[in-house]
Amino acid sequence: MGATFVGVRHHSPACARLVAATIEELRPAYVLIEGPADVNDRVDELLLGHELPIAIFSYDADHASWTPFCDYSPEWVALTTGRACGAEVRFIDLPAWHPAFAGRSNRYADAELRYAEVVERLCREFGVDNVDVLWDHLFEIETGDIRERLSRYFDLLRGSAQADDGDAAREEYMARWVRAAVADAGDRPVVVVTGGFHTPALKAMTAGDTEPPDALKAKATTAGHTTSPEQPQAKTPSETEWPEAPETMTAGDTTWPERPKAKTPSHTTTPAQPHATTAGDTAWPEVPKSTGASYLVPYSHQRLDAFTGYQSGMPSPEYYQRVWADGPARAADALVESVVTRLRRRGQPASTADLIAARTLADGLAGLRGHPHPARTDVLDGLVSALVSEDLTQPPPWTRRGPLLPGAHPALVEMVAALSGDRTGRLHPATPAPPLVTAVTELLTTLRLGHEGEVRLDLTEPDGLERSRVLHRLRVLAIPGFDRVSGPAAGTDPALDERWELKPSDLRVPALIEAAAFGATLEEAAGTALERRAACAGLAELAGVVFDAVLCGVTSLSATVIASLTDRVAVTADLAALGHVLGGVLALWRHDRLFGTARDPVLGAVLDASTRRILWLVEGLHGGPAPADPDRLRALVATRDAVVHADPALAVARADVAGVAGRVAADALAPPDLRGAALGLGWVLGEDEQPDVGHAAAGMAAPNVLGDWLAGLFAVAREEVLSSPSVVGVLDEIVHALTEDEFLIALPALRLAFTYFPPVERERIAGAVLAHRGVMGSARALLRTEVDPLVVAEAMALERRVDELLEGLR
Amino acid sequence: MSLDAARRFVVGDDSRGISRKFVGDPSLVDRALVTLATSRGLMLVGEPGTAKSLLSELIAAAVSGESTLTVQGGAATTEDQIKYSWNYALLVAEGPSTRSLVPAPMLRGMAEGKVVRFEEITRCPLEVQDSLLSLLSERVLAIPELTGPDGMVFAHAGFNVIATANTRDRGVNEMSAALKRRFNFETVFPIGDFQTELGLVEQEAAKLLAQSGVGVAPQRDVLEVLVRTFRDLREGNGTDRLSTVMSTAEAVSVAHAVGLRGWFLRGEAGTPADVVECLAGTAAKDNTDDLARLRRYLEQHAVRRKGAQWQALHQARHLLPG
Repeated sequence: MGATFVGVRHHSPACARLVAATIEELRPAYVLIEGPADVNDRVDELLLGHELPIAIFSYDADHASWTPFCDYSPEWVALTTGRACGAEVRFIDLPAWHPAFAGRSNRYADAELRYAEVVERLCREFGVDNVDVLWDHLFEIETGDIRERLSRYFDLLRGSAQADDGDAAREEYMARWVRAAVADAGDRPVVVVTGGFHTPALKAMTAGDTEPPDALKAKATTAGHTTSPEQPQAKTPSETEWPEAPETMTAGDTTWPERPKAKTPSHTTTPAQPHATTAGDTAWPEVPKSTGASYLVPYSHQRLDAFTGYQSGMPSPEYYQRVWADGPARAADALVESVVTRLRRRGQPASTADLIAARTLADGLAGLRGHPHPARTDVLDGLVSALVSEDLTQPPPWTRRGPLLPGAHPALVEMVAALSGDRTGRLHPATPAPPLVTAVTELLTTLRLGHEGEVRLDLTEPDGLERSRVLHRLRVLAIPGFDRVSGPAAGTDPALDERWELKPSDLRVPALIEAAAFGATLEEAAGTALERRAACAGLAELAGVVFDAVLCGVTSLSATVIASLTDRVAVTADLAALGHVLGGVLALWRHDRLFGTARDPVLGAVLDASTRRILWLVEGLHGGPAPADPDRLRALVATRDAVVHADPALAVARADVAGVAGRVAADALAPPDLRGAALGLGWVLGEDEQPDVGHAAAGMAAPNVLGDWLAGLFAVAREEVLSSPSVVGVLDEIVHALTEDEFLIALPALRLAFTYFPPVERERIAGAVLAHRGVMGSARALLRTEVDPLVVAEAMALERRVDELLEGLR
Repeated sequence: MSLDAARRFVVGDDSRGISRKFVGDPSLVDRALVTLATSRGLMLVGEPGTAKSLLSELIAAAVSGESTLTVQGGAATTEDQIKYSWNYALLVAEGPSTRSLVPAPMLRGMAEGKVVRFEEITRCPLEVQDSLLSLLSERVLAIPELTGPDGMVFAHAGFNVIATANTRDRGVNEMSAALKRRFNFETVFPIGDFQTELGLVEQEAAKLLAQSGVGVAPQRDVLEVLVRTFRDLREGNGTDRLSTVMSTAEAVSVAHAVGLRGWFLRGEAGTPADVVECLAGTAAKDNTDDLARLRRYLEQHAVRRKGAQWQALHQARHLLPG
C-alpha cells in the first residue's frame, strides 16, 4: 500500500479536519508530518499535555526559528490523531538550522506566497482581494468534502512555480522519508501531511521506483555510517546504509551539547520486515547535525499573527480557533461580539443600530459571495462599513495583507486585536527545558531573587555584587521582570548600591528558553547577547555595551568588543559619539573599583585611540559661526579629563595636546564654540602660563559668536574661569560694550554658555562682577530678580520713550 | 441585474468577456453593492481622482440601469435641485398640480425606485445636506403644496443614494452625525500596486490619445517614469509629499498631454522633457512650495534612478518655470 498525501495549509482548521478524518479512516502505520526531524525522538515531549499554542524553538549559532502549533494546526492534529490511532508519528522535514531555512524564522509560513504570480491570477479570477480571502472562500467556509478541491488548488499553485534551492532540498529530504516509510510499512497505509505546496512535488518524487541520483548513492556508500544500532536488523546491507545528510553543517558530530548524540528515528516498535524494494533509496534518512538544539516554548496567538512578509502564515488565529472549536457560524458571532466589547470598553461608539447594520451587511455579503455562513471577511467588511463613519487613512488590513500602520481608525485596531486574540500557551511542568532555564532558576533561588518586589544591593559586598551581576545578565538578555530602578549609570557614578524591581511573570520561562540560543550558562548567554549587540551597534552605543559588560561581569567580552571599539574609534568622523565613548570608558578606567576595571590596559587602549582621533578631527574642523554644539564640547571635556587623569594610558604627550589646542584656538576658520573650548583646553593643560583670555575674548566679541565661544570656554575651563576674576572683568566689559540690539542677538547663546555653571558658581561670578565694578551689593540679588519681568520691560519701554523725547527736544 | 451580475459588471469576468471597469479591491465593490440593498445610503470618500464618481456611476448603472439621476453638489446647490421645483407658468395658470411640478433627481429616484447619485455632497451647505435626512430615514418625500395622495411620494424598492465626497475640500467631518448615521462609509484608496496603476494609465492614455488623433501609442518606459514620479510625490517615498493631489486621473491627463505635445510638435510619442513641462502645470499648479519640491525631486531623486528615461527626466529639470 502506498502513501496517502494530504497537502495542507499550515494553521488551517479545514485542513486539520481533513487530516483527522483521513487518519481515522485509514488507520495508517506511519503518519509523516512536515516538521523538524531532529525532535523525532522527543515527540513524547510534545504530547505531555500542554496548553496550546506552543512552538518548537530551534536554534544554532547563527539562526533561530520557530515551528508553531495551535489546536487547529493540521500538523498538530496529525500528531495527536496519529498517536491515538496507534500510528508511528515522524517529523520528516530538515531541521531548522539547515541552510534551506536560512532567513526563515517561521517554518509554517505560506510557501506559495513566495511564488506569488499564480496566487494573483486566482484572486483576480475569483474577484477577491488576496490569498487569505480566497482561502476562506474556497475551503474554510465550505462544509462539504474539500479533498479534491484542495489537491487541485495545490497542483495549480505548484504547477506554475519553480521551487527555489531551499524548497528543493527540503522536498528531496522529505521524499526520502516517505520512501523509507512506505517500504517499511509494507501493505499498511502511510499518511503524509505536508504543506500543500510541497505535496505535488513529493507525489512525483515518490511515485514509481525512481533510482536516486548516482552522486547521492556514491556519497551514501562513502559516508560509512556505522552508528545506527537501532536500525531494523533484518534489512539487507544495502538498505541499512544511511544516505549522507544533504548538507552537513560545520560542526562535527561530537558537539551536540546536552543532547543524546544518536538522532536516528527509533522504530523498534514496528515489526522489522525484509522488503523486496531494490535500492538504498528506501533507507531512513539521517538527521543533519549541528551545534543547535530544539526546545518547546509557550507561544501566543499574537506572535503567531505577527509574522509578516514571507514569514507570514494564516492570519487571525483567534478567529480560526473559534472556527475549529465551534464552526464558522458561531465563530462569526463571537468575532462581532469580541469587536463590540472591545470597542465599548474603549469608549468608542458602537450602537445597536450599527450592529444591526453590520449584521445585515455581513449576511448580505455572505449571500453575494455564496457563503453558507458569513466568513471572516464578510463579518469584517460588514463591521467596517457600519462602524466607521469617516474616511479611513489606510485600507483595512485584511484587504491587503500586512500589519496595521500607525494612526489607524480605532475600530480597525480593535478588529485586528479581536482577530488575533490574546490566548497564550502554557507548557506542562514536566517539559524538558534547556540548561539555561534550570541554571537560572537555581541561581535565582540560591541568590534569593525569585520573589516579587524590590531588592536593594550593596555593590561593595561580594554577595551584593554577585547578585547584581546575575540581575544585569538577565536584563541584558531582555528577560522580563527584572528592572533596575537605580544604580550607577557610569563609572564615575558615586552610587554604591542598586535597587531592582522584580516581577515574576509567565513570560519569563519562554524568554529564557529563547535566550538559550545564546549559550548554556547565564554568563555565556549574556556575553553572546552583548557581542551580538556590539556587532550592530553604533559607536555611541558601544560605550553602553562596554559598560553593560562591566555591570554583568562578563570578562570574555572585552577582547573582541573592545578590539572592535578601538578599530571603529580610529576611523569614525563622529565627534559626538567619540566624546560619548571616551567619557564612558574613561570613567570606567579611572574610578571603577566597584567592578574592578580601573587602570585596565585594554580600556586604556580605547582611551588612547579616541583621544588621538578627537584631536585629529578637532584640528580639521572648519566652519563659520554656528550655534554651540554640546556634544562636540563634551568630546573636548572628555579629552581634557583623559589628558589630565589618564596620562599614563595615552601615547600622545600633554604638551602636544596643548599645542593642538593652541592652534585651534587661534584658527579663524574653526567654529567659535570649538575655539573657545580649545582655548579652555590650552588653559587647563598649560603648565605655568595662563593664556591671554582677555585678548582672545576681544577677538570674539562680535554678538553672533560671543556666546558660543564662551560656551566652549566655560564647558572646558570652568574651574579656571571661576578662579580668575580678571577674566570675569574682561567679559563684563565686553558685554557692557554691546549695544542693546547686539545684546539681544548675543543673549540666547550667552544664556546657554552660563548654564555650564551651577547656581552657586554663578553667584560667585556675579560677586566678581560687582567687585570689578567696585559696587557693594548682594550677588544673590543679581541672580534672581524679585520684580515681575513685565514691570521691568515696561520700565525699559518708558525709559526708551523718555530718551526719544529728550532726543527730540534737543 | 442580480447582485452577483452587478458585481461582475464592475469587477469584470474574463470567462464571460466582461471587461474590468473599476481597478480596486473587489471587496470594496461587494460592500458597496450590499450597502445599497440595505436601508443605509452609500458614501464614497477618498482623495480626489480615485475614481469615486466612476464607481458610483458604474454601480448606479448596474443597479438601476441608468446613472443619470445625479445631483451635483456645490456651494450653490439648493433644495429645489434635490427634491422638486415648479414650472411657474403652469403653477400660476393651474395652481399646484402634478403637471406643474418639476421633479428633481431625488423625487424621481424615489418614485421610480432608482439609485440617485449625489456628487460632492460635502460641498453643499450643511442645511441642504440635512434635507436628505427625512428622505433617507422615513423614505418619504412630502409635497405640502399638493393635496391628496399626491402630497406624499413614498420611496419604491430600489431607491437609494450614492454620495461621493473628497477628503481634500471640506472633508466629511462637518457632516451632521444624524446624516452620517444614514450612510455607510467606504473609503476609496489610490491604487496600491505600481503595475496595476501603470497598466491603467497606459490603457486610458492610449484611449484618449487615439481620440485626439495621435498616431502613436505612449512609450511604456516614459509612462513608467511618469507613474513612478506621481507615486513618489503622492506617498512621499523618501521625498516630500506635494500638497496637490497626485491622483491616477491626473497621471492619465499628464500622459495624454505628453502624447499630444510629442505628436503635434515633433511627430513622436513624447519624451521625459514633455513630462517635466506638463508636471509643472499639473503637479505644482500655482503653489511655489510644490514647485520647489518638484524641482528637488527632479534634481535629487531622478538622478539616482537607473535608466535612460530617468536621466532624461533629470536633464530636463531646467524646463520647470521660475
